[in-house]
Amino acid sequence: MLGPDRNTQARPRNFASCSGCNLCLLVCPVWRRTHDFALTPHGRAKALQHGAAAADLAESIQGCTLCGACEPVCPEEIPLIAMTLDLRRQMPQPAAVQELRTRMEAQAGHEPSPRSGPVRALLPGPALRGRPDTMERAVALLGGTGSIRLADDDGADIALALEAGSTIASRRMEQFLRPLRALKQMVIAEGLLLRHLRPLLPGAALISLGEALSRLDAVRGALRAGDLYVIEPRAYHGDYQRLVRHYDALRAASGCAFNLDLQRIAVPATARSLPQRLGLETIDDGVQLRWIMQGRKVTRIVVEGVEDHAAFEGISALPVVHLADLADDGAS
Amino acid sequence: MQLTDIEPGTVGPCPVAPDALQGIKRQQTNPARWNGPNWAAFSAALRSQGIEVRETAAARAAFATDAGGTAYGLAHGVVIARSTEQVALLLKCAQTHRVPVTVSGGGLTTEGESVAFGGVLLDMTGMSRVLAIDAAALTVRTEAGIFWHSLAEELRRQNLDYLSAPLNLTSSVGGTLGVGGIDVNSARLGCSADQALALQVVTPTGDIVECSDTENAELFQRVILGYGQFGVITEATLRVRPYTPLRMHYFYYASLRTAIEDLQLLDRNEASDYSGILTIMDCAVNVLVAFDSLGRETAFIADWRPRLRGYGELGFGLRTLAHYLLRPWKLGEAWYLLQRKRELFPELQRPEYMRDGTMFDRSVVFSRAVWKFWGSRQMVIPDLATSAEKFVEAVERGNAVCRKYFPHYTLYLVGIKLRPEHRAHYEMSCVPPDAEGWAYGCEFEPMMDAGVYSRDTLQSFKNEIYDIGVDMGASYYRFGGMMKGYIRRVFGDAMVDRHLEMKRKADPAMILNRHVIF
Ligand code: SF4
Ligand code: SF4
Repeated sequence: MLGPDRNTQARPRNFASCSGCNLCLLVCPVWRRTHDFALTPHGRAKALQHGAAAADLAESIQGCTLCGACEPVCPEEIPLIAMTLDLRRQMPQPAAVQELRTRMEAQAGHEPSPRSGPVRALLPGPALRGRPDTMERAVALLGGTGSIRLADDDGADIALALEAGSTIASRRMEQFLRPLRALKQMVIAEGLLLRHLRPLLPGAALISLGEALSRLDAVRGALRAGDLYVIEPRAYHGDYQRLVRHYDALRAASGCAFNLDLQRIAVPATARSLPQRLGLETIDDGVQLRWIMQGRKVTRIVVEGVEDHAAFEGISALPVVHLADLADDGAS
Repeated sequence: MQLTDIEPGTVGPCPVAPDALQGIKRQQTNPARWNGPNWAAFSAALRSQGIEVRETAAARAAFATDAGGTAYGLAHGVVIARSTEQVALLLKCAQTHRVPVTVSGGGLTTEGESVAFGGVLLDMTGMSRVLAIDAAALTVRTEAGIFWHSLAEELRRQNLDYLSAPLNLTSSVGGTLGVGGIDVNSARLGCSADQALALQVVTPTGDIVECSDTENAELFQRVILGYGQFGVITEATLRVRPYTPLRMHYFYYASLRTAIEDLQLLDRNEASDYSGILTIMDCAVNVLVAFDSLGRETAFIADWRPRLRGYGELGFGLRTLAHYLLRPWKLGEAWYLLQRKRELFPELQRPEYMRDGTMFDRSVVFSRAVWKFWGSRQMVIPDLATSAEKFVEAVERGNAVCRKYFPHYTLYLVGIKLRPEHRAHYEMSCVPPDAEGWAYGCEFEPMMDAGVYSRDTLQSFKNEIYDIGVDMGASYYRFGGMMKGYIRRVFGDAMVDRHLEMKRKADPAMILNRHVIF
């Protein structure tokens, strides 16, 4: 053994430690759509390793859908989502994000009135609020309003600001967090918000709406072989090691298929870049949806995400059912 | 000092050139960078034909190195391959303007073979579509930039699988067909390159040619295992098979020699569907055996298991415990073994990839383990490929070199069934000329997780391994790029000159992957 050449510094967990394995490409929806290496985590890492700045990688950084699929497969355990958001922070913010910040600052002035009641809350996010019937059924399944409350402030603006890599005024953040600190359990529909809140609220159990519903006997009993169950990717990948086992057990119990690839990574159905989220670019989910459906023989599509519901209805003649509506689905 | 420009393929006057290094220490470097005459005219010509050429620093930097992480070079521009016609246009233009073209697939070379030292880098992963799956004929036609894993994803939707592919998931099909491709079923099915039934190739002069054993057979022979010298593979027709989960067995040995002898016994008798050796240390050698069906597994247990000299996990654990109790000064070694076992074994048996005791996704399990436990920013994986008869000696000598350089390393050993009708493909390739029936390959992979090594140390290590090959008349899988100084030594001037002559004829301006072999 040659001693003197060895240098045993701990290795960093950032883009500098990217080994170039390409595993992130295999799961990245942007890669699937473009086959453009520069738009992938590997491409960003290599460019940064060789001197590129955030501004040089604008298209790549804004194009990431933050689905989180790349993170659990990265053997170097690089926190790829946090690093992409950090790169977004280094870039000029689009006008829509500036407006959002102004709105958030205005909202920070309003003190929420204190509420007593259940110590569990559902943070539905704008998509679920847009489907009040489904939201009501979700609340009923989770125990009804006596057991779980609908959060007045579900941090929709914070979720969007996070997505944009925008800084969030501490006053607004505190205003959002204060009522949540009294809670024991939160069911959060928005996966990126869920990831962000977990370390901020260590005393509470935070789970995704998909996980919360799929643990219920009424929902599990309504799943059947022939269903394609579409996992919401952000929450799943944010807690992958635990949830991969949860869904594997669900597969074994129900016999349904999942939008999982061979690595057990969730294939996002509605993967949206930042400009798409901000309404600055048109949305085309076709590539992802076709890939999820390719070669599958299924009779019903069951989705965790409301956005996925609309997307599948747009391309498939099969019945599409939200998890919250599953127990009431006549076809069950 | 004035350095003269040397035409690729010729032996220059430099006294320290790779070919002048017999008997003295070799510390090789990247090739000199192409200095760019005609670049502007070339890129303008591509653009005028609608081909996007990326010349920003960020675009070029993304391809500055390969998985080896020891060769660095910058292309003048990057082109993403989008169609066969576009690749043909690019090569025609490159011949006219004498601009070097370096082709990259997964970029998983370790000796800088897919790194451009000037000129244009052609990123083949832009051509990654599966074109047609014929489940009845058990074939697939695919664009060649696709990663093997992406191909597997598509095949699995039809309950099919590829025959054999490299263990790392992200090699491209085209790149693999150009160099070999070894899997744990290669002892039964041959290397990945042997699975190709037909190819669409763009020649270095930009002609689009379909080739196979029966059509343009000479081109087919040169392109398969041709290290990218005779054309760019744009499409491939490959054999596929019905998907089966794997029934795995692991046997543990304290001796490399015994493990290799048992591996070869199994291979000779086709006693298993998959076989290979992976070491944790040279005194903790794992022979991996697996089966596609219960019938094959049962037959193995009845007929061959009793003849193997390896232990099961418990038996080997007890034996190892006794060994170290009697040698307390080696407790550090014991601790390393224990740690490695704790980390590695659960990864090979993750419940989400296992069903009813069978491994469902072998490529995922192995590949994740490969990258997690063996991947790092620097990777050198020198190898030796020999006939079955010479293999034990080659591995033992290589192992002694590893011991000298690194505290921890892994050896990965597999057999490769040879197809007599493909002899012509094997010429000047990783298949040693004296191998009959099976060739055997061993990769020597240092564990560099805990440290960073100087490039000189790594190069000296590789040279010592490759010197064994010269001495024993072996061959190598990774003999291109920075290791090309060995090519004339192992294959001899006559054969190399013959191939060089063919290369000159096929590629008059010597533009295609020019620094890889010649
Ligand atoms: S988060 Fe999703 S879209 Fe973004 S790089 Fe990772 S896999 Fe690709
Ligand atoms: S998975 Fe991680 S280490 Fe591998 S290429 Fe992507 S970012 Fe780099």
